[in-house]
Amino acid sequence: MLTVVKNQCRISFLSIKYALMREMLNKTTFITNVIFMVLNNASFIIQWIVLYSLRNDIGGYTFRQVLLLWGMASGTYGVAHFFFKKAFSLSDIINNGKLDSFLVQPKNVLLSVIVSDVETSALGDMLYGFIMLIIYGITPYTLILYCLFIICGGLILTSISVILSSLSFWFSKTDMIAETGNNLMVNFATYPDGIFKGLVKALLFTFIPVGITTFIPVHVITEFNINLFIIVILVTVIFITLAFLIFFRGLKRYSSSNLMVARI
Amino acid sequence: MAIIKVKNLSKTFKVKLKEKGLKGSLKSIVKPRYKTIHAVKNISFEVDKGEMIAFIGPNGAGKSTTIKMLTGILYPDKGDIKVLDINPKYERKTLAYNIGTVFGQKEQLWTHLTPYDNFKFFGAIYDIPESRVESKIKELSMLFELEEFINTPVRNLSLGQRIRCEIVASLIHEPKILFLDEPTIGLDPVVKGNIRTLIKRMNKEFKTTIFLTSHDVSDIEKLCKRVIIINNGKIVLDDDMTNLKYNYLNKKIVEAKMKEKVNLDDEDGITIIKDKGYNLKIEVDTKKRSVADAIKLLNPDNIIDINISNVPLEEIISSIYKERDVK
Repeated sequence: MLTVVKNQCRISFLSIKYALMREMLNKTTFITNVIFMVLNNASFIIQWIVLYSLRNDIGGYTFRQVLLLWGMASGTYGVAHFFFKKAFSLSDIINNGKLDSFLVQPKNVLLSVIVSDVETSALGDMLYGFIMLIIYGITPYTLILYCLFIICGGLILTSISVILSSLSFWFSKTDMIAETGNNLMVNFATYPDGIFKGLVKALLFTFIPVGITTFIPVHVITEFNINLFIIVILVTVIFITLAFLIFFRGLKRYSSSNLMVARI
Repeated sequence: MAIIKVKNLSKTFKVKLKEKGLKGSLKSIVKPRYKTIHAVKNISFEVDKGEMIAFIGPNGAGKSTTIKMLTGILYPDKGDIKVLDINPKYERKTLAYNIGTVFGQKEQLWTHLTPYDNFKFFGAIYDIPESRVESKIKELSMLFELEEFINTPVRNLSLGQRIRCEIVASLIHEPKILFLDEPTIGLDPVVKGNIRTLIKRMNKEFKTTIFLTSHDVSDIEKLCKRVIIINNGKIVLDDDMTNLKYNYLNKKIVEAKMKEKVNLDDEDGITIIKDKGYNLKIEVDTKKRSVADAIKLLNPDNIIDINISNVPLEEIISSIYKERDVK
């Protein structure tokens, strides 16, 4: 069992490495993609600078906490889209019957598919996240927690996309549903949770779990709370399990296609 | 000993029906209608170890669906499959370690990597130790003559070179069965010939069982000893290639260049294919009339040149498709 997991991890990292090598073929595009993503994210901070020049507290967050919130949101997004890019176009892969070449390999189909490509601009998101952490105040404690939380958040984001995309096995085109779900996760992640009340707040800690991927991690880094920490880990495990269960249940309904496909 | 056992295998697909135009699209949202397509209908066959078998049929006959069920890509609706005593439905990964697949229409290689790096990647996929992968790459690159371009990125290779690399990638883990789905599609005759020779050599040297689908009759004729023809989801013929030729070769094509014109219009057992005055092409049904008889009718003294040949296998197969078109 341990060897199986080890081999699966080895092949997943190899796949990510090769995909990154492909992206690096064009050096200029690669570097500009990363830099422009950092600049793009940085541009949003301007509005917060303006807002915090008027007030000292927004939704219970200080300016430094907002920077950490942004760092958490972009780091989470970066991990999900860099390492598991194909999870975000899984619906298209299922609809067009492109799972064949993964199904004839003796490895986990879902993992093999989602790590088969990387998004270079997501490296910019991860880089931006670390810059925000440095500005917030980097210590071994914050660094370890930050890394752990962006991995958990990235895995939750990926799992949500896998779950929504897997609906394509039953209802054919569900790419719009998956896209909406992914956008909701991003849109709510960059605002302090104190500004959300009632039903919206409940949704953000359940069906749109931005609370788990971003808000709780910011609170735990600011002030450690073991219960909240465990909740993040548990929810991550639950989402990953659900993603695998739903994908593999749907896979039984997979219908291949005879489209001409090249791995480019 | 049979290493592929298929019994009463069936597969259906549900396809949404849509009337034409925007109205039809709206109607299909409100009241969707579906049609069930029976891609494979209750087929049974067995393949022995070391066999080279052609699994052929017209487009949409059910070839690819069958091959995909045998390799674990698709789940069958009904029936039993055992490939190397493994059920692809439940033990896909175990099966994958023991079979190789080449889909001519779908590339498995990373195009920005060299064949060598790709083979190493495939070695890792199949959990083969580094040293064994190296020796296997060496062995296969010699057999498939890849030395010249093994370090050139795949995207810079010709189609023929790519297909050779695809086949080698699928052989890295020494599969017992190789499924080839249209391996020579889009290749020129010389490259096709090379690929066929290599497949034959591989079958001979490694005793790999070959399960081939192809629309190219020469592939089938030159590689396979047994042929299974599938049409409309049903097996319409499962026979040795020699039997196929023997049973269907009761017709001969006679092409003759004549000194004088001959009229064979009402002759029994003779069908005129082409009549250009002094050049005549006829088909002789040897069940009704011997070739010698046909030549007598032409008058040997009247013949300048003559060529007697078999009906091409391509035509035989086409006629089987048409004759046994079981809906």
